[in-house]
Amino acid sequence: MTTTANKRHTEVKEPHWIEWATGMVSALVVVATIAWVAYQAWTHDDMQPEFSIAITERRQTEGGYRVAFDIANKATATAAAVTVRGEILDGGNLVEDADVTFDYVPAESKSSGAILFSQDPGTREVRVRAVGYIDP
Amino acid sequence: MNGARAERGNDAGGSRSFLIGLGRGAAGAMLFGIPMLMTMELWQLGFYIERWRLLLLLIVNIPLLILLAHRIGFERTSTLAEACRDATIAYGLGIVIGAAVLIMLGDIKPHMPPSEMLGKIAIQSVPASIGALLGRSQLGGQSGNDEHEDDGEEDEEQGGGAVPDEISTSYSRELFLMAVGALFLNLNVAPTEEIILIAYKMTPWHALVTIGLSIAIMHGFVYAVAFKGTHEISKETPWWHAFFRFTLPGYLVAMLISFYVLWTFGRLDDTASTQMLMSAIVLSFPGAIGAAAARLIL
Repeated sequence: MTTTANKRHTEVKEPHWIEWATGMVSALVVVATIAWVAYQAWTHDDMQPEFSIAITERRQTEGGYRVAFDIANKATATAAAVTVRGEILDGGNLVEDADVTFDYVPAESKSSGAILFSQDPGTREVRVRAVGYIDP
Repeated sequence: MNGARAERGNDAGGSRSFLIGLGRGAAGAMLFGIPMLMTMELWQLGFYIERWRLLLLLIVNIPLLILLAHRIGFERTSTLAEACRDATIAYGLGIVIGAAVLIMLGDIKPHMPPSEMLGKIAIQSVPASIGALLGRSQLGGQSGNDEHEDDGEEDEEQGGGAVPDEISTSYSRELFLMAVGALFLNLNVAPTEEIILIAYKMTPWHALVTIGLSIAIMHGFVYAVAFKGTHEISKETPWWHAFFRFTLPGYLVAMLISFYVLWTFGRLDDTASTQMLMSAIVLSFPGAIGAAAARLIL
């Protein structure tokens, strides 16, 4: 408890037990946080971002065709300005391609986005892949 | 002070001091709200923030303002009803000032959909309303505190030294003040992209140093550096008593507020737990400073 007398604050000498309890819980949480980060620091090895892309939805839209996907980064390094290119291939020949750029794909996390084609790929192959990134 | 007290009796003086109070509230809303009103990310959040998170933020702001009004007040409020009134005025001022500045800056235009306008104003009203309350108490200084409205209860505090010279701050209230301070600074910086960018740039080692420094600064701000309002520890008490009872819980509060604000702004979605923690640690740094400052100022 704090006592304010004449604009000076003095902590009283005999605090309530709940103050100690709160202090203890806080200390535990802070120590746990530090331990967790320290563990991360210890096991931190320089990994390069690794992407895997899974198409989640293909749908006809007004005046085009949308291919939605999730991009996951399994590494412990974050990538910035990740460019993802979607291509429609017809027997190895490129029919159409479109790009999308993610500001960030954080480490061990997932982002989602979509590529908009002007035509329905139908039975043709759709390839979506990351083509580049920069370190943040 | 005497002038203010003499005026209190008549109605004209009362309404005039009320208008002055409104002016101070508006000035506070501007002063504390401008950094956020001129942040691009907050405008964008106005239309893409999830509506129920925005709703939660707006609702959480109500008890926060009432408690804050009760603690520092437009006037030194004594009853809950007065605190509610002041909180309402502050919220209203926050909304009006937020809307006015956004319109002035050309960020709200007639052709925009209503949901976008509302979202932008709503998100700005939270820091602006806290600013309105702070502005009235901080810009008002001593005379501001003494300008009571004519509600018949003014005689209560008249006996002896007018204002009781010893008010005791309960522990929970102290933690609450830290939460307000942390929330305020967090709202300033959390929406910017820099917070997550910093979190991505930092290695865990940087994070460890940040935690240590945040806690040290918090403790130093309140106990070591002799600012006005500095808390003193009585001579017999070891330093670590206050460290355990106030600084560590304060840091935890700052951290929880950081998580809440990051979640509200959608910065934690689909993110690994380590990354969440890193962002929270980064945001807790300003949060800790805000929390410590709030203990001194409020």
